[in-house]
Amino acid sequence: MTKHDRKIARTHDDVFEEIAEALDVPPSKFKEAIERYESLGTWLDRDESTLSAYNPGISPQGSFLLGTVTRPLTDTEEFDVDLVCLLKASKTEFTQKSLKAAVGHEIALYVRAHKMAKPAEEGRRCWTLHYADGAQFHMDTLPALPDEQRYQAMLKRYGYTDLANDLALSGQAIAITDNTLPQYDEVTDDWPQSNPMGYAAWFRSRMTVQLAERKRAFTKAQLVTASVDEIPDYKVRTPLQRAIQLLKRHRDCIFVDDGAHKPISIIITTLSAHAYNEELTISAALHSILTRMDQYIEYRGDVAWVANPVNPAENFADNWAEEPRKRQNFYDWLEQARHDFGLYLRASRFDAVPQELIDSLGAELVDRALKAIIPAAASPLAAPAIVKAASNNDDDVRRAEAAIDERRSAGTQSKPWAKS
Amino acid sequence: MTLEEVKAAIAFDQPKLRAARDGPNIHVGGSYLLFENGAVAKPAGPISEFDIEIVLSNRFPRHEPKVFEVGGRIPRCADRHVNPDGDCCVTVWEHWLACATDHSFAAFLNGPANEFFLGQYWFEKTGKWPFGARPHGQKGLEEAYADALGIPNRKNDIIYHLRLLSKDWPKGHWLCPCGSGKLLRHCHRDDLIALHERIPPRIAERMLRRLKSYTR
Repeated sequence: MTKHDRKIARTHDDVFEEIAEALDVPPSKFKEAIERYESLGTWLDRDESTLSAYNPGISPQGSFLLGTVTRPLTDTEEFDVDLVCLLKASKTEFTQKSLKAAVGHEIALYVRAHKMAKPAEEGRRCWTLHYADGAQFHMDTLPALPDEQRYQAMLKRYGYTDLANDLALSGQAIAITDNTLPQYDEVTDDWPQSNPMGYAAWFRSRMTVQLAERKRAFTKAQLVTASVDEIPDYKVRTPLQRAIQLLKRHRDCIFVDDGAHKPISIIITTLSAHAYNEELTISAALHSILTRMDQYIEYRGDVAWVANPVNPAENFADNWAEEPRKRQNFYDWLEQARHDFGLYLRASRFDAVPQELIDSLGAELVDRALKAIIPAAASPLAAPAIVKAASNNDDDVRRAEAAIDERRSAGTQSKPWAKS
Repeated sequence: MTLEEVKAAIAFDQPKLRAARDGPNIHVGGSYLLFENGAVAKPAGPISEFDIEIVLSNRFPRHEPKVFEVGGRIPRCADRHVNPDGDCCVTVWEHWLACATDHSFAAFLNGPANEFFLGQYWFEKTGKWPFGARPHGQKGLEEAYADALGIPNRKNDIIYHLRLLSKDWPKGHWLCPCGSGKLLRHCHRDDLIALHERIPPRIAERMLRRLKSYTR
């Protein structure tokens, strides 16, 4: 990068963009992760694979797919890449246990063939692949079978006919395994279900305009001739995705000592996507989200309900009833987030991030971002307070005049008087 | 109005205010940030800040909040629309209740409170009130009520309208307030019904009471 193309922040959004960009998976790691899971997919589908008859496919799910991944708090922690391993088979051919074992067998061969240091680790629902320390990520692979018909039948049973008939939202539902269930080793139709692709389609639908807009800007900036449809989603980030990254980071910092009770990402992501209204900027998105996200928590009787948008019968907050602390932590976090982000956006100049927000996003992260895009931040001689002192009073008067004009044209609500 | 609702209203938009329960009331205090309406963030931060305290009844918006400027920035005199105890005459409350559709605390902060402090800022700089100012005392009250009713500022007309509107249903056999001499049911009945929806009896009664308190 030359002196001339260095980014210089001029707004709060420039600063947030820089911080959020630093929360992304670094492009090299992103590429590496894609190569690794594609390599696993190729392995599972090779001629000698015991699964090849089932046409296995590997695809990302979760925050990696949604574009809302956030960097772990420390470099010793790893990115979490969630994958689905889908076999084109039916539940008459497998029990949950035999599916998990079949996928686990091939993953174990893959680990051995690639001389990976650690064996794959079995979890309740998935297999975790650990890579060498330098990789900085691990992959959770979820064995699954197609299950859209039973999923759609379930939706219809609960009265969600429109959802059931919407193939984008319910047509890619899957059956997954859970080794804690009594029917884990039985041939049965009664498997746990999930719908990560449907959720991703719903999430994308909440930002369609901005996603296309960002892709258009991307093609323009990169001087490429591809159409907007040809640009993969992961190449761009919308204000919704950026806002979620910032909120998840804020959550991680606030609950650094209480990770077990922090608000979970799917709740933050779902409520944020509901509250987002295609705002053009990160700051406007944060305003909408933080002031309205709690309105999307339903109360069904006394039970707080954060409905899965592609299966409203599923409550993402189902454990709030058993652990009221989690519910309280969500509301406490929301109040803190409103205050911290508001303090920066409403009460501060763009180049003077308040200490409260620095503390709740991580001093190192914010400091690095500021130094990268605010020349004054790199120099101890030019602190924001000095910049503030130099601000032009005339500018404030001009702004007030514009604010008055705007108020007049919108219709004022009041005039001062004197009671006596 | 609960403490949680007040906290939710100020947490993002007015992050330098803090709310706490104070007996039957809610006390809000700190710096009120003066901003362009609808702006989330401006690169230079807020236009200005005023140190304020607000005392809110839990019956807000039926009970008018008291707003005090406590930083000593605004002289405490009628010409600056501030009482000697620092109580700011932000607006004629019933006028706002009658004319605004959103009566939430957030709407109050972004509406009348913003206009009041923007006006104070502008007066500091220019000596002029940007949105005008009402006469003091009863005259200002009458002007505000006439504005809210959408009629010329004549005291008797205002009172007659308010008496009509104070009824659960405007009486058709009363004379029309337009002065035509016809019964209401044969004249501006529909207009008055529309006004009745905007200014319900409890607000009209309150306006009447307040006007009478000045007359006594």
